[in-house]
Amino acid sequence: MKQTRRTFLTGASALSAATLTGLGSSLAAFQASAAETSGYKALVCLFFLGGLDGHDTVLPYDQASYDRYATIRAPLLSLYDNMQGGSTRARDRLLPLNPSNASNFGTRQFALPEELSGIKALFDAGNAAIVGNVGPLIQPLTRTEFLNDSAPQPKRLFSHNDQQSTWMSSQPEGAQFGWGGRFADAALAAGANSNSPDFTTITSLGNELFLTGSQARPYQVGLNGAPEIDALNFFEGNRNTPEGEAIYQKLRDHFETMDFTSTNLIDRDVSNAMRTALTTNETFNQAFESIQPFATAFPSSFLGQQLQAVANTIAIRDALLINRQVFFVAIGGFDTHSNQANDLPSLQTEIDAGVVAFYQAMQEIGLASDVTLFTASDFGRTLAINGDGTDHGWGSHHFVIGDAVQGGQIYGDLPPFDLDHDQDAGSGRLIPTTSVEQFAEPLGRWFGLNDSEIAAALPNLGNFSAGPSFV
Amino acid sequence: MAFSTAESTALFLNQATFGATMDDINALTGTSPSEWILAEFNKAPSLNLPYVLAEISEPGARDMTGQLTFEKRQTPTFSFWINAIDGDDQLRQRMAYALSQILVISHAEGNFLFELPNTVAHYQDILVTNAFGNYRDLLEEVTYSPAMGEYLTYLQNIKGDPASGRMPDENYAREVMQLFSIGLVELEQDGDVVTQNGVPVEIYDNTDVTGLAKVFTGLSLKGGEFWFDFRTLPPDALHSPMEVYPEWHSDLEKSFLGTTIPAGTGPAESIDMALDALVDHPNTAPFLARQLIQRFVTSHPEPDYIQRVAIAFADGQYVLPNGTSVGDGRRGDLSATIAAVLMDPDARDAANRNDDSFGKIREPVLRFIHWARAFDAGTVTPELTFPLWNTSFGGGLAQAPYKSPSVFNFYRPGYVAPGTETGAAGLTMPELQLVNANSVSNYANFMTYFVFAFAANNTGQPEATSFIPNYADELALADDPTALIDHLDLLLAYGRTTTETKATITTFIEDIPLDNPSDPNYNGPFLRVALAVLMVMTSPDYTVQR
Repeated sequence: MKQTRRTFLTGASALSAATLTGLGSSLAAFQASAAETSGYKALVCLFFLGGLDGHDTVLPYDQASYDRYATIRAPLLSLYDNMQGGSTRARDRLLPLNPSNASNFGTRQFALPEELSGIKALFDAGNAAIVGNVGPLIQPLTRTEFLNDSAPQPKRLFSHNDQQSTWMSSQPEGAQFGWGGRFADAALAAGANSNSPDFTTITSLGNELFLTGSQARPYQVGLNGAPEIDALNFFEGNRNTPEGEAIYQKLRDHFETMDFTSTNLIDRDVSNAMRTALTTNETFNQAFESIQPFATAFPSSFLGQQLQAVANTIAIRDALLINRQVFFVAIGGFDTHSNQANDLPSLQTEIDAGVVAFYQAMQEIGLASDVTLFTASDFGRTLAINGDGTDHGWGSHHFVIGDAVQGGQIYGDLPPFDLDHDQDAGSGRLIPTTSVEQFAEPLGRWFGLNDSEIAAALPNLGNFSAGPSFV
Repeated sequence: MAFSTAESTALFLNQATFGATMDDINALTGTSPSEWILAEFNKAPSLNLPYVLAEISEPGARDMTGQLTFEKRQTPTFSFWINAIDGDDQLRQRMAYALSQILVISHAEGNFLFELPNTVAHYQDILVTNAFGNYRDLLEEVTYSPAMGEYLTYLQNIKGDPASGRMPDENYAREVMQLFSIGLVELEQDGDVVTQNGVPVEIYDNTDVTGLAKVFTGLSLKGGEFWFDFRTLPPDALHSPMEVYPEWHSDLEKSFLGTTIPAGTGPAESIDMALDALVDHPNTAPFLARQLIQRFVTSHPEPDYIQRVAIAFADGQYVLPNGTSVGDGRRGDLSATIAAVLMDPDARDAANRNDDSFGKIREPVLRFIHWARAFDAGTVTPELTFPLWNTSFGGGLAQAPYKSPSVFNFYRPGYVAPGTETGAAGLTMPELQLVNANSVSNYANFMTYFVFAFAANNTGQPEATSFIPNYADELALADDPTALIDHLDLLLAYGRTTTETKATITTFIEDIPLDNPSDPNYNGPFLRVALAVLMVMTSPDYTVQR
């Protein structure tokens, strides 16, 4: 077998430590072809927790498709009709899309609901693209193969936590590394971010799998900088005397667990987290002092605040000595088993306002071409209705936004808004036609990764032919 | 063995209750832990609904539009804190809290349940009253609870309609299997995952979900109207079991997990058969055993430990060290199960403290309650203490009782923390999902507010009497830092604080002057005590219970 670079590197991890001693110099030879890390670039993953209904986000617009959709979704659409202000899903109120690749879809036409008017404007301006029917796959899968279970398919389909994990890492719950973290690792290995993994991956929520690599670890940001330790600050005023400084340092050592040792792994993890918290928070806050407020007004919604925290962090990138970053923001509420007509439109309004403000903020600081935002979710939902909502699905439609995006197009496939077609896994749960890894690939290439780095981050990509190239 | 020394008593109480107190350590050392458990089983439950109903009936509980005030909507949280801190039925309250992290509902602000405090309190009381009952009965009460019906959206779930393609809502069918009974993959009785060609065997697919979804149709609130009008509901409908409405129940055949409920079976009987099938499934015993061990003792239990607890669950019986048998012999007995969790050699054997993968991170919520109990925190009036209304927000504890962001709780039982040493070793470590640079700093600050009794500084305000610690024992030791730290080490950390951590804290405390002639308001003894408490409670030694 031909020894490609990828198999060489994969094989290296199985070698003994002794063999590895000489590896440093061999790896140095690869630096020339490692990830491209000049300038600044950031990826922002906007995750819809619970499973966004793609069928109720990118809607059919040509009369025949819309009529069929309206028949299948009649119970839901009648609830939309009852909403105050009337139904935003009525065909004459939809915002029809005019993609530059409309001819790919024949007579079929598509539309966004008016709650997404800002994203629609970005699409029209060529700064946003739609990628249809994206979801986890191991290899291309037909309906027959799915029904007969005769080809490999993702584990634990339709389960929230496992499909969130699979979207982020290509594996169900228990996975250790996400592709955002792997992308960051590749950039770090190529010398990005002044050779420090701190602040390379950033979350506005918690300990995100998506952002974890072997080097990169997510750092959590809020709107107002990082928390300081109040008790330590009580002693800050005493530091002008040697005694006061000594007392301060003792307390500081405590909070950094400087004297703590243990062989217990849980002890060690907790102690390590405490040890790094104080200094990373201080470093962040020092950089945060240089923040210039944005003229762009962010919405006060939870998502708006998260995206503002991301924008702030990007704005202080030079003070943090950072030039490659991956961000993660998320909002919940998309598990619309019930009350979809009431709940989904307001969520879409929140998304639209947040995303548009974020795009404008990036324009304001001249980074709209250097920051690319994409959406993700556990899964799409059934086309069939369960009364007043929808159930767990699989493939769904997603957005990619930024000036680097070749926008104004619909990439991939939008399966028929119907039941029992070739991509129907049952009740209109879509068997994806673009795998998550195909969706991730162009993002990784844009971020600067080379072939082998892409292959390491996206283990199943080789099972697919070339995917959409939207950025 | 538990209760043989003050330290072993303190460890046991930290595992089994909301935290050791000096009174309990002194009273129980030298007595029998079996007797303690038996006494706990017989204690009267401290309930939530009576408190919540009284609170929301008070004058001024509602605004001019009839809406409950924001404060009154928080009353289930208040009653939780009150019972957890002051309730005499500590094991029961702790078990109910553990169950609330498996059978999750949430009244976090924004959920409709936030508007229905009595519905939430009714649910809390189902967990409290069934804490030592049978899991099958508990699961039935949960299934009929309006809280779960609303949270997992099967309240008013209707049978499918083949003509339009409308299907029953699958939400509860999926989660009652995945989260509340059997999980996703086939398990051995010791919790090991069964594999085929190296791949875990999944125990159901979506056809089982759609089959089971038909069972949970035709349930709505008490009162005789499936499509009820809130204004004409019976006054207790929102805190009573839901009722069945056969005309809205699927009369098709219902097949799942190899069980077939014949066509034409009514709602109550269908639910009975379905819950029997779930609780009787071989997975249920190890699935729940593992999670209960995680809530009380250790995050990555050994297979043998899981198996011993699973056997107690399956047999419905467990023999305590004093020879008394607990449990009624019916599968699912929770008194036998919790006794097996707490009395197991793995939980009790001091040698396990030296095992590098044994132990658990104390949940932030448990750490706060432990402080309130250990220092007899004055009037427990959470309604006056805004930081306790939702401790998962902002600078809080990153966690709040009954306020999970989703049915998946604040952390997952299967969470293996990426990029950590426990993760590299493949250890499940649920609570580590909450540990990061943000949360460790916020926790320290949250505790600082309470430990230093900052609420008391607002003299004249009603909250100035709320959660004010009684440090009498500790102040008596303020002039002897070594003795003070030893005392706190026993009370809070059952004597496990390392020599190094003790030395760090002691030498720091020694440097805090006991008096300051130039400042009449200076209170050196209080400063020493408060800083010592804070430092112990922010040490890794305290944070990890093992």
